[in-house]
Amino acid sequence: MSINDLPVLSALRTKMQWHQERQRVLSENVSNSDTPKFRPRDLVEPKLDKSGAVTGSMGPLAMTVTSASHMTPSGAASSFDQNKNAGFETRPAGNAVNLEEEMMKAASNQMDYAAATSLYSKSLHLLKTAIGKG
Amino acid sequence: MANDSSDFARSMAIATSGLRAQAGRMRVISENIANADSTSQTSGGDPYRRKVPTFSSALDRTLDAQVVTLGKIKPDQSNFRVKYEPNNPAADAIGNVKYPNVNSVVEMTDMRDAQRSYEANLNIISATRRMIQRTLDILKS
Repeated sequence: MSINDLPVLSALRTKMQWHQERQRVLSENVSNSDTPKFRPRDLVEPKLDKSGAVTGSMGPLAMTVTSASHMTPSGAASSFDQNKNAGFETRPAGNAVNLEEEMMKAASNQMDYAAATSLYSKSLHLLKTAIGKG
Repeated sequence: MANDSSDFARSMAIATSGLRAQAGRMRVISENIANADSTSQTSGGDPYRRKVPTFSSALDRTLDAQVVTLGKIKPDQSNFRVKYEPNNPAADAIGNVKYPNVNSVVEMTDMRDAQRSYEANLNIISATRRMIQRTLDILKS
């Protein structure tokens, strides 16, 4: 069993991946905040079981590429579930991005990511203590 | 994952596309404000016509993400302001001068809007930078 298989570490890694991908989705929303007919998106937080594995759905299945020259299907591929009904007020141009809400989400995403990374480094520190080098 | 660049690098690139689009919008707005009183050079001719920037969302295939691009810059088809100034060289036969259809109040609000959107994109970039920094901090401890 490698260090990476520890439940705590693998759960934290999944969470960090989720935050990274959410940051990408949020920056798409913000940069398209003036594009007509653009609907904002968000990611659904993954549910983790005791062993650190994701329970429930893990987003849409990726299409298999059978040749290296094939193009990837349009629409950014994501390994987590997407929530496409994120916006609730639509402007006359058909754009539903709310900048304040997106800023709030980006800030909380960043803080949760900071929490996950410091937990990760604390867990590593714990392991170091166990081996006797802390 | 479909491509090699990490989500953080893509977040930065997407936010940069937003910065570029808003900067292009500012360029169009400043063009409008600067030309708010540009009349025609010939008598009775059309003055400067206000320009409207458009945005469109496009899939960047190398990034595999929805970036924003500044689309075609279209002319505003609304009517020109007409003033009676018989002594103006641009006046027509009955002494009317056509002024551009630029409303400086509308341009000002548009400018503020562009400024806010630009700041929002900058915020995303600094938040992403802080997240990358946190990741690197794991190595330090």
